[in-house]
Amino acid sequence: MEQIMNETMSKYFNPETTASIKVMEGTHAASQAVKLARVKVISAYPITPQTSIVEKLSELCASGEIDAEFIKVESEHSAMASVVGAESAGVRSFTATSSQGLALMHEILHWAAGARLPIVMVNVNRALAPAWNIWVEQTDSLAQRDTGWIQFYCESNQEVLDMVLQAYRLAEQVMLPVMINLDAFFLSHTSEPVALPKQELVDQFLPPYNPKYKMELEGGHAFGGLAMPDSYMELRYKMQKSMEEAERLIPIVAEEYDHIIGRHHGTFLENYRVADADYLLMTSGTISGTSRIVVDSYREKGIKLGMIKVRTFRPFPTKAIREAVKNAKKVGVIDRNISFGQSGIFFSEAKAALYNAEHRPLMNGYVAGLGGRDVTPETISEIVDHLIASEKGQDLIWIGVKK
Amino acid sequence: MSDIMDLKNDQTLMAISTGDMSWNKTGSWRYMRPLYENKIPPCTVGCPAHEKIPQYFALVKEKKYKEAWETILPDNPMPGVTGRVCYHPCENVCNRGEYDETIAIHNMERFVADQNLDNHIPEYLVSKEKREEKVAIIGSGPAGLSAAYQLVRQGFKVTVFESANEAGGMLRIGIPSYRLPREILDKEIDDIKRLGVEIRAGITIGKDLPLSNLQKNFDAVLIAVGAYKSWGMQIPGEELKGIRSGLDYLKQYNLQEQATTGKNVVVVGGGNTAIDTARSALRMGAEKVTIVYRRSRAEMPAVPEEIEDAKKEGVQFVFLANPIAFHGNGSVQEVELIKMELGEPDKSGRRRPNPVKGSEYRIEADQVLLAIGEVPDLEFTEGQFKLLHDRLNLDNGQMTSQKGIFACGDAANGPIGTVVDAIATGHRAATAIGQYLRNGKVALNGKMESGVPFDTINLDYFVNEPRPKEQQHHPETLKENFEEVNLGITIEDALNEANRCFSCGTCTYCDNCLIFCPDVAIHLDPVKHEYIIDYDYCKGCGVCVHECPRNAMAFEEELKWNK
Repeated sequence: MEQIMNETMSKYFNPETTASIKVMEGTHAASQAVKLARVKVISAYPITPQTSIVEKLSELCASGEIDAEFIKVESEHSAMASVVGAESAGVRSFTATSSQGLALMHEILHWAAGARLPIVMVNVNRALAPAWNIWVEQTDSLAQRDTGWIQFYCESNQEVLDMVLQAYRLAEQVMLPVMINLDAFFLSHTSEPVALPKQELVDQFLPPYNPKYKMELEGGHAFGGLAMPDSYMELRYKMQKSMEEAERLIPIVAEEYDHIIGRHHGTFLENYRVADADYLLMTSGTISGTSRIVVDSYREKGIKLGMIKVRTFRPFPTKAIREAVKNAKKVGVIDRNISFGQSGIFFSEAKAALYNAEHRPLMNGYVAGLGGRDVTPETISEIVDHLIASEKGQDLIWIGVKK
Repeated sequence: MSDIMDLKNDQTLMAISTGDMSWNKTGSWRYMRPLYENKIPPCTVGCPAHEKIPQYFALVKEKKYKEAWETILPDNPMPGVTGRVCYHPCENVCNRGEYDETIAIHNMERFVADQNLDNHIPEYLVSKEKREEKVAIIGSGPAGLSAAYQLVRQGFKVTVFESANEAGGMLRIGIPSYRLPREILDKEIDDIKRLGVEIRAGITIGKDLPLSNLQKNFDAVLIAVGAYKSWGMQIPGEELKGIRSGLDYLKQYNLQEQATTGKNVVVVGGGNTAIDTARSALRMGAEKVTIVYRRSRAEMPAVPEEIEDAKKEGVQFVFLANPIAFHGNGSVQEVELIKMELGEPDKSGRRRPNPVKGSEYRIEADQVLLAIGEVPDLEFTEGQFKLLHDRLNLDNGQMTSQKGIFACGDAANGPIGTVVDAIATGHRAATAIGQYLRNGKVALNGKMESGVPFDTINLDYFVNEPRPKEQQHHPETLKENFEEVNLGITIEDALNEANRCFSCGTCTYCDNCLIFCPDVAIHLDPVKHEYIIDYDYCKGCGVCVHECPRNAMAFEEELKWNK
């Protein structure tokens, strides 16, 4: 056992690139990444379960371990506005939030993307009130789908740290903001071993940020002015082009990170036992880890089950999904979110992605685990059994609702 | 930024100017312009002497009592006197009164004066330029002293003629020492003398020296003789023994330290002289003192606090009654009164009292003191001057109908009857004389106006706090006790009161404008000690104007400035 762990760990925690390995919560992994990214301005408003990210950052700022301005604000709206200001001045900035806080930021999320500011934000996925609920659900970030933000979903604390660093690298190339999402409590408040890469390697991976246009005292520019109907549409076109550019760059950035730091979490998807699978689960976040175990148990029974873990939501990995499902008979999408009046959001996006594909498997949409309800191996097995038994696709199947 | 971003043309990714836009200052957005502009507060307008009240309050806050005193002095050399006896019209117009309670300005003035009893009026308030012209002033009451002080400050040579043996006029003769201790009066007169005012006491113009003599020997003459001649009642029995003027009675006591007082005294009148007479009579041993006034309490011209104090001390009041005859056998024994009722308002705005037919009744009295008003004794002018309502008629420049002869105080028409009006008109007369002697003509400033109505104060910055209560001394037995009744307020109360003041229209450097400016376009000039608005960047949002608690900011249309 010890040997297996060591073998796994040395593969995962490359000793040559690692400064130290620490047991930490997902929130602190985010904070440590901010430190490694040499962020210059932090502004955030505390909200459970994001609070410990901000707490740790304020401590690191106070102790001088991070050389950054920490701007205290009275709301998330102001927090986002503050980092918009900082990024407009050409300074790498960070904020974090969750749930209601993200909802309050909504207007400025559009501004951040439209102003082409490469802000990185960590969002801890939490259910929206009412009823008050502080546990995991993805509806908060998925509701920000059309703001122009790139979105990643993480499965482990290590992934959170690595993706914050990759987010800056990506954002500052495509000039779009990036949101890194992690599950409330299952990641945010669960301690795991996390490798902190050496600072000099991070510096090598992530060069200082120096945009072409920024707010300066000398030689000033006008920002965010009026665009008449004859020019506004071109600016929107460019945002879409930048999203497409992000789709091109995401694998490259992952490669660069792997090359310098020595770790790779996959690109748009992480495909697990997909190649010969008849049945596929499509998951995101921490449900993926549980699903992996279920996949293994079905494989032992001789049932060809596989799993697609979706890592990016915007840009949506249409090409990667078409490729991954091309041999599958049935796909079951597990959504820890819901768009009322439609279905789970990953499901409807994936289904739309496949409409124009050559191969269209049967698709079922499962909604499970809202508001932090446990999604256990038994829950997932119930989904798999249902999927295998299905003769035609169903858009919305509620799992575990007490009736 | 990645090259792919630049697409086909050189357009930028977002709405951004590629060129230098620093020439385009955000100040060009402005269509309203804030102005850092101190305004005259209502209290300064309400004060006839126009004392700079918020300014000296600001110094009290910093415990700079000497500087606070020196801020009052240019307008009034006798704050120790006015702080005690003034009817404080400043407080009637105080904006704080519409919020909770008016600021106790008169207490503050007295407090400041009392902190400076060992100081003298500083030399820097007197012009270094000395002039040859000589000015004669007749009368050393508050009007004459104020004028003498202001003329000396301008560098003129001033001689004051006083018929009594000591300077002070009505301050000494009319006002009892329990309201105005003589050491305070002496100190403030002495301060004026120290500046070089010559006071020649014991000389009565018209008796010891004719007015023409002054006209000959001085470049200008100021008549400030006050009003000492009491109006009689012109009713039967007025000649009976025991009936005299209240002012004469006060004068006798104040100059000779004794005056014949009855056991059962009736005082007729409703002004401050009536109250002073009644309270003095109690102190002189009267067993019962009754004030008879023809209108009601509401119309009494006396200071309300004084009326209250008189009541506390046991003075009885008979309102809506007027004497129609005095009865007695040689000496007065009874006063015959007729009841009055209030009719339509008269010229003074007060309701006119009308006798009620058949309501006559009598009350007993062994002494009657009449305090129904005084006019100036102008015999010495030998009828050479134009009069208006028995007083010297003045032009807009305080000058009488005789060239080079000016007048002020109760001797002249204009605001009359109070110490502060006398001080104010004395100041005006001094300014007029200065202009006359320098240029041969006089042009005085018009009426002062305040630009700070109550609704321009931002009440978010103030909390309700009560006005301080002044300590008082009312001894068990008043007999022969002429000790000061009002004891002033404590240092703590004064500091609190200075902070309670809205400081209407008068910047206190609270930094609100600077803190709230979203464009960081306001800074404090450390040399000029004023806020500077950077109009290159001020967008005219008006937040500074709104957040100024005290309306020391104005807001005007930009168009007005760009014409």
